[in-house]
Amino acid sequence: MNRSDPHELWEYILTQVELSISPANFNTWFKSSAIIKIEDGIVFIGVQSPFFKDWYQKHFNTLLLKIVRDVSVEFRNIEYTIVKDIARKQPKESRLRREPTQELPLNEFYINKSDNLNPRYTFDTFVVGSFNQVANMAARAAIERPGITYNPLFIYGDTGRGKTHLIQAIGNHYKKLYPNRKVFYLTSEKFGTDFTDSLQLGTANRFKEKYRQYDLLIMDDVQFLSKKDKFQEELFHLFNHLYDNNKQIVFSSDRAPGNIPDIMDRLRGRFLSGMTVDIGEPDMESRIEIVRKKAAMSGVMLSDEVSEYIATSVSGSIRELEGVLNSVVCHTQVKGTPPDIAEVRQSLRSFSRPSKTVSVKHVVSKIAEFYGIEEESIYEKTRRREVVRPRQVIMYILREDFSVSYPTIGNKLGGRDHTTVIHSCEKVKREVAEDAELAKEIQDIRTLLV
Amino acid sequence: MIINIEKKEFSEAVSRVARFAERKSATLPVLAGIAIVAGDDGIKLRATNLETGIDFKVGGTIEQPGVVALPATTLREITGSFSGTGAIKLEHTGDTVLISSSAGRSTLKTLAYEDFPTLPFPDSPTAKFTLPGIQIRTLVLTVAGCASPSTVRPELASVLLSAEGGVVKAVATDSFRLAEKKIAVPGTVAPFSILIPAKNAIDIVQTLPDDDVEVLIDEHQCAFSWPGGIVTTRLVTVPYPDYTQIIPKQFVSEATLLRKDFEASLRRTAIFSDSFQKVRVSFATREKKILFSARNSDVGESSESIPASVTGDPIELSFNHRYLAAPLSLMNSENLSLSAAGIGRPLIIKGVGDNTFLYLVMPMNQ
Repeated sequence: MNRSDPHELWEYILTQVELSISPANFNTWFKSSAIIKIEDGIVFIGVQSPFFKDWYQKHFNTLLLKIVRDVSVEFRNIEYTIVKDIARKQPKESRLRREPTQELPLNEFYINKSDNLNPRYTFDTFVVGSFNQVANMAARAAIERPGITYNPLFIYGDTGRGKTHLIQAIGNHYKKLYPNRKVFYLTSEKFGTDFTDSLQLGTANRFKEKYRQYDLLIMDDVQFLSKKDKFQEELFHLFNHLYDNNKQIVFSSDRAPGNIPDIMDRLRGRFLSGMTVDIGEPDMESRIEIVRKKAAMSGVMLSDEVSEYIATSVSGSIRELEGVLNSVVCHTQVKGTPPDIAEVRQSLRSFSRPSKTVSVKHVVSKIAEFYGIEEESIYEKTRRREVVRPRQVIMYILREDFSVSYPTIGNKLGGRDHTTVIHSCEKVKREVAEDAELAKEIQDIRTLLV
Repeated sequence: MIINIEKKEFSEAVSRVARFAERKSATLPVLAGIAIVAGDDGIKLRATNLETGIDFKVGGTIEQPGVVALPATTLREITGSFSGTGAIKLEHTGDTVLISSSAGRSTLKTLAYEDFPTLPFPDSPTAKFTLPGIQIRTLVLTVAGCASPSTVRPELASVLLSAEGGVVKAVATDSFRLAEKKIAVPGTVAPFSILIPAKNAIDIVQTLPDDDVEVLIDEHQCAFSWPGGIVTTRLVTVPYPDYTQIIPKQFVSEATLLRKDFEASLRRTAIFSDSFQKVRVSFATREKKILFSARNSDVGESSESIPASVTGDPIELSFNHRYLAAPLSLMNSENLSLSAAGIGRPLIIKGVGDNTFLYLVMPMNQ
C-alpha cells in the first residue's frame, strides 16, 4: 500500500473499520467520507455535515488514530473538515426522457459569493482591438505586480464598451495567479447600501474591517458616488488604507475622473494618481471580431457575411450587439440552423432605429437649436465661427447618419459646392476621432434626432 | 425513566418530531427513532436523519429522569390513535417502555440510545436574525415546489433565503422555472444569504411556530430556535446562480386576465396535451384574447380563448401545462399578468397588484 496516497489509505482504513463496528454504523457514517489530503503527518478526513464531524470526533477518533498509527508512525493526528457540496462525488444520473422545455441559462450566471466575481468574464473571452488595447495592457500590467505598477487603475469609457468585463477579468485572473489572496468586486452602489446598512445596524467597524482585508478591490461605476459625500469620505479612508498597504485598487466609471461632477477633490486626486485609461468606440474590425467570438461562445457559427452585416448595421454599444446576437442564437436554437443574411436583415429590423429619412430642414433646426443659433444663419453665406462649426456638424450628420449625397447637402444648405461639403465632413470626422468633447456633442445631437 | 405527559400534547409533539427521523432503513436503526430525554431542563424529544435535526420541548412531569429511544413510526401510530383527554405515563425498564393510560397499557421495544447522534448547533454563528415563523413558512412553502427534485446540482435542489435592505426573499428554480417570494420586514435585518436543501426546508418550516424564531447561521449549518425547541439543517455551500440577470426587463407582449378564467381554461386544455404535456398559449393582440390550444394524436384536440387585455405584438409560445398551473395556487390576486419576452425566452406570471411574488417559466422548443 502506498501510504501517502489518500485513496489507498482510506480504502485500507475502511477495511479495518468494517471489522470493528456494526454494518449499520459503518453504512451510516463511513459511506460518504474520504481522505482529502495528508499534510505534515496530519490526515484530513472530509465529512458531509456537522453531524458527522461531531460523531467522528466523539466516537471514531481513537479507532481511526489507532489504524493510521499502525500503518505508519508518521501520522500524528487526524482532523475532520466538512467538504463543500461541489467537491462531493455526485451520482451520475442519466436522464432518459429528453426534457422538451428549454432550460434557463443559469450556468452563465454563477457568481462567486466570497468575491462577487462572475466567472464568465475572463481575459480569454475579452476581445482586444485597437479601441481597448491600452486598457487591456494596463490591466494585465497591473496584475503582474499588483499594488505597485498602476495603483489605482482607473478605467473609463461609455456604457457598453466592456469596462465591467475587463475589471472582472482582472479579478478572475488575479485569483488564478494568487489563490491565497482576497479579491472583492462590487459596484459603488452596493458599497453605498452596505455602508448605510452597517450604520443602521451599528456595525460600522465591521464594515471597515471587511473592506480593509482585501488584497484587490474592484469598484465598478464610481460615478454614482457623485453628490454622496458620506460614501465618498468612507471610500477615501478605505482607499488610503489599501493604498498605504500596497493593495491593488481598480475603479471604473463612465467618464474620466476629472469629469465626474460633485466629487471631493481629494478623492478625484486619488483617482488620478495611478493609471487612467479609457476605452474608446470599437472600430469595425473589432466589432466583427466581437460578433464572431460571442456567437462562437454560444455555439453558433456565423458566416463572414452575416457577422459583418450585424457588426455594421447595429450601431451603438457592444451590449446592443450582444442583444442582436442573442436573438440570432435563439433563432438557431429554434430552427436548428444559423440564420442567413436575409433572415438576419429581417430580424434586425426590430432593433434598428426607425425613421432614417428625416428632412434636412428638421435636422438643421434641431442642431441650430442645440447650439443656440438662428436657423437662418446656417443657410447664409456667413463664416462666423459660431455658425461654421454647427454647419459642418450638420453636413457631417446628414452624410453619416442619413446618407444624403454631397451635392444635395450643399444645395440644401444655401447652394454650397459639393467639395465644401466633402471638406467639412472629413474635417469633423477627423476631429471626432481626436476630440472627445465633440464626439460627445455629436452623440447628444443624435439622441435629439431619433 | 418515568414521565407523565398530557395525551394531546404528546401526540402533537411526536407527529412533529417524527418528520425528522430517518425514513430509509439501510442506515443506523436508531436514526429511525425518537429519543425522549427527561432531565433537568424538562422533557425533550429528539430526532435526526443527519441532514436535519430537531430538539423539541414538551410539558409534563418527570418522576425519574433518564433517556430512551423509540421507533418513530410505531410511536406515531400509537400516539395518533389516542382518543379523549387525560395523561399517559411512560416507564422505561430494561429494553422496553411501558406506555399506560387510564384505558390500557402497551409495551414498546426500545432502540439502542448509545448510537443516537448529538445534534450539532452553530457555536459561533456568522449571522443571526429573528423573523416570525409564519413568514419564514410562507416564504419557503411558496417557492419550494420549484426546486429541483434531483440532487445532481445541489444548489438547484435548494431554497435560497436572503435578506437585503429590509426585504427577505426566498427563491427556488429547477432551471425550467423559477419562483421568487419577497416579504418586507419591519425593523432591520442584517443582510445574509443561505441555501437550504428544499426537502429539509419544507420539513423545518412546517414545524416552526407562528411567533418569532431566531435563526443562527454558520458556514455549514443553520439553526431555527424558539422557546419550545430548536431545528437544525445542513446548508448547501455552492454558489447560487445570479438569477436576477435571467429575469427579462423588456417584454414583447403583456396580458392581464382573470385567474379563474386562466385556471379553468388551462385545466380543460391540458386534457388534450401530448406526452410532453404541451399546451400552446397565444397572445392575440387584436382580438384582445389569450388562446389556449393543445393536440394529442391519441385523444384529440382542443382550443379555447379567454378575454384579456393584451398589449404588444402577437406571439405564440408552448409550455408544459404543469409549469403554468403551478403558480396559480401560490397567488392571492384575482387578476394575473402574463409578460412574454419573446420566442425562446421566459414568460413571467405575476398577480396584479402583488409585487411580492414572481414566477418565471421557460417555453418548450417549438
